[in-house]
Amino acid sequence: MSLLDAYVSPLTAEQAAHLLRRTTVGPTAAEVDAFMGLTPQQALDLLIGNNNLVIDPPVNLDKDAPAFGQLLNVAEPFLGTEAFDRLQSVRFWWMKRMVDTSQPPSLLEKISLFWQNHFVVTTLRVTDYRFYLEYLQLIRSNALGNFSAFVKAITINAAMLEYLDGDANTNTSPNENYARELQELFTVGERDYDGNPNYTENDIKEAARVLTGWRHVGYRAENSTSYLVEFRISKHDITTKQFSGSYNSTSIAGNNTTNAGNIEIDALINMLLAHPQTARFICRKLYKWFVNPNVTPAIEQQVIVPLAQFFSSAQNNWAIEPVVRKLLGSQIFFDISNRGAIIKSPAEMILGAYRYYQVPCPDGLIDATGAQKYLVTVQTTMRNQLMALTEQDSVFGYEPYYQASQSKGWLSSATLANRYAFIETVVKPTVTVSGTYKLGADLLTRAKNWQPNFSDTAGTPAITAEFVVTKFLEHLLVFELSASIKNSLIDDVFMAGIPRDSWLFEWNRYRQTPTNTDAVNAVKNRIINLNRYVLRLAEYEIF
Amino acid sequence: MNRRIFVRNSALASLSLPLKLQGHPLVAHGMGSDLVASMDAAPGSFGDRIVVIVNLTGGNDGLNMVVPVAEYGEYLNLRQNIAIPQNKLLMLDGVADFGLHPALSGIRDLYNDGLACVVHGAGYPNPNQSHARSSDIWMTGTAADVYENTGWAARYLQHEYAGFPVGYPNPQMEDPIALQIGFSPTPTFHGDEQSVAVNITDANQFYQLIGEGAPGNGGELPCCDAGDLVTYVRNQQLLAVGYSAEIKQAADAGANLALYPASNKLGDQLKIVARLIHGGLKTRMYFVQMGGFDTHATQADVNDNSIGVHANLLKTLGDALKSFQDDLKMQGTDHRVVTMTFSEFGRRANSNGSRGTDHGHCAPMFVMGKALKKFQLGTINRMTEDLVWQTPGSPTSNKFVGMQIDFRRVYTDMLNDWMGNDPSDTSSILFQPFSTTSLFRNTIETVQTGPWTTRATWSTGRPPLPAEQVIVRPGHTLSIAQNVTMAGMDVQGNVDVAPGVNLNITG
Repeated sequence: MSLLDAYVSPLTAEQAAHLLRRTTVGPTAAEVDAFMGLTPQQALDLLIGNNNLVIDPPVNLDKDAPAFGQLLNVAEPFLGTEAFDRLQSVRFWWMKRMVDTSQPPSLLEKISLFWQNHFVVTTLRVTDYRFYLEYLQLIRSNALGNFSAFVKAITINAAMLEYLDGDANTNTSPNENYARELQELFTVGERDYDGNPNYTENDIKEAARVLTGWRHVGYRAENSTSYLVEFRISKHDITTKQFSGSYNSTSIAGNNTTNAGNIEIDALINMLLAHPQTARFICRKLYKWFVNPNVTPAIEQQVIVPLAQFFSSAQNNWAIEPVVRKLLGSQIFFDISNRGAIIKSPAEMILGAYRYYQVPCPDGLIDATGAQKYLVTVQTTMRNQLMALTEQDSVFGYEPYYQASQSKGWLSSATLANRYAFIETVVKPTVTVSGTYKLGADLLTRAKNWQPNFSDTAGTPAITAEFVVTKFLEHLLVFELSASIKNSLIDDVFMAGIPRDSWLFEWNRYRQTPTNTDAVNAVKNRIINLNRYVLRLAEYEIF
Repeated sequence: MNRRIFVRNSALASLSLPLKLQGHPLVAHGMGSDLVASMDAAPGSFGDRIVVIVNLTGGNDGLNMVVPVAEYGEYLNLRQNIAIPQNKLLMLDGVADFGLHPALSGIRDLYNDGLACVVHGAGYPNPNQSHARSSDIWMTGTAADVYENTGWAARYLQHEYAGFPVGYPNPQMEDPIALQIGFSPTPTFHGDEQSVAVNITDANQFYQLIGEGAPGNGGELPCCDAGDLVTYVRNQQLLAVGYSAEIKQAADAGANLALYPASNKLGDQLKIVARLIHGGLKTRMYFVQMGGFDTHATQADVNDNSIGVHANLLKTLGDALKSFQDDLKMQGTDHRVVTMTFSEFGRRANSNGSRGTDHGHCAPMFVMGKALKKFQLGTINRMTEDLVWQTPGSPTSNKFVGMQIDFRRVYTDMLNDWMGNDPSDTSSILFQPFSTTSLFRNTIETVQTGPWTTRATWSTGRPPLPAEQVIVRPGHTLSIAQNVTMAGMDVQGNVDVAPGVNLNITG
């Protein structure tokens, strides 16, 4: 049996939860229940079938703009004074997609997050919202498409030309920035699994020459209503580009036609994809993202190498979706050793919690003020935990995805402090989104909804302390807590040392007088203490 | 040891005569502890000493930070579109061959006060131009072809505080052994299992958020990687809880006495460090970080090369370091603290067409502190021998600033001479022995056989100054072909003096 063989049994609850935790920012308990019993293949059909590429354009969430709460019109004249808030609107548009629970769970946002952190362009540097929106849409629409076409599109994408200085790369003054990252980060990778270099410094220089002549026009041009990307043969290096033995000593003939840019880039991408390490580099990165950041020599040989062979095979021809399906439906994906093998990023920690507790973001077209408040708060919270969405420090992406400490890098004592602060806002919401809706979990209402015939105290018994604790733990942690720990949660944390039966009196008193402050606080505080304790457990940090 | 030249008996035979000794007697001298002798009344005990590491991320353009003056024309040719005008450069007392970027008045003042050292051409052999890989090399403290997970500082600290974090805090060390301002744990402090540092961004807030309660109990560890991660998180929780009160106490007890520049991201961090030091935190190493140095395009203003993006970065750096050092002085803690800056690489000597610079090799480091005995290591880059051509012979070749001082030699001095670590332990920590740069020593010594005028002969990467005490180490032959002046000479190896040459001993 091979580790990449399909896992075909119906999913248990734990397996369904594992698949959903890795393919979304975090599932609701109801989503886990709905996926239980499906085969992995059926589950993946749903997750991929639910991908919705045709979604509404961003809503303008600039509070001071006349068009606040209307769809963002990218054909409107560009105004520098409004650029930042419109850029915010574009980021918010993506963030809202990730946290949305009104749509069935789909793979799209999680894999877009992967590719945005692969072909990094940051909004710190590219601040024309039109460029950035086009870039994000490119990421989303190619996320499960063809890798070869993806690399080509991103290479001449306006935002990327700006971000990695492709715009400034000409025959008379080559700029190596993109040529380096194209090889080091986007395709072949700097080194192979054993640490051997995959290319030479001169290969970077030669690739830069291939890429000369492209530019964007209209970046942040005041009052412009459009922008474009163009190739200028006069700025293109028309001499032959000679690569090293790492690329089989490929030479790319200089082309002197107006289509030289396309012809030579296609040749360059063919060369990069023909490098035996490219498919492995991408498959390894997918494995680290979806399965386990720790790639052992056995995994390299038994998973990465065959998956890469499949990725680059003539039959598959660099299609991404079949590779992702193979990986997510494999024996190794569902192996117990990969359960909980990653520390949550702020996306999984924050957006995941909001999905689990169903803390919805208002629709910007209906409640723009609420949507803006919600998303700006989420943005700040993510930033405080080291993942400022689309604001990576460098083209390497968010640090924990490339540094040796891997997902442990999310958690220092400083981010731990901020995670605790975030957890506090989940269990005791303070920020008002709109009306009486505060940003955080409405824990008491959750419990109330578990009580059959809430008002019928006489005829319907109260839900027990054991029941309430069990429900709050439902599909919350990767591993089931042991019976003794669970008892301790009930007795020491939830009941804080008093008999469990006292809960029944307190809960019934709340049912009888649901507006009495003392009655409410008696049960609410127990619930808050329980959830705070559980969310602060080290076990909650993994997924 | 005043006004004398020391020559070991065995070395006498190799001296070519005649030697003019300016009337000073020549005496034999055994191998003494030149380090101890060179330290002016060692301040405090080693255990009180602190290293502050300032990381400039992105690859700092060293050639616009420390600018050649003697070869200004060659410098200008390399980077016309971003060159700093010569008349804008800040000149240093007694230094004619280079000047500082006009935004670095802070560093100029520190240098002129004898509180800063410029380490020219700092780097490592076989430089790597990848941000991630090169910063790993600097932070893990390895050769370019060695992949290591633990940080150089963490290896030292776990050697000094054996077993850490197990059994800590304890009465001998109740404070964090390392502290980083910022969220993202640096590989510099990455130990066997996890970071040995506590990360904070604000001492009081940290205490408030972490609180004093013990972390929750989730029971038995799960299997495999998940178990490893849960252990890691639990340890982080214990460290945070264990140290938050100590850090708050120090922050409450300490104060900033100097004025810091407003809106200065680095200054804000160093301010916290100074306050904790003043408040008595016993932490040995601090790490702060400032980004933005990856200046591929438009690093200088279109109309004035002396201002713009890189100028702003350097101003932030210089002003912050100056305020920090002033603060330490006013607190009376400046004798216990040494600060050093580093960036993962320097930028290319030739600029690109986007008025920026691409990834390069070496660049200067600054070291700052009252304890410094050397104020320049190496010399300003020589535009011929110190530039490495990517394509030798081709006029359009990219050119790189070559290495003069291996950064691991600076680390070696930090550990041995500043922290008081055993040199043989330092060699294991850095995976091989490195010669001193004499940064903290009154003396200057040979590190290999060679002529007086050759930079590589000397620990300092430059020939001795007239006021410096010279040691010729065993096994080395120092050849002197012209008149030289020095404070004194301790010959443990051989000296080969050409006929008719004067050795002027001023000591």
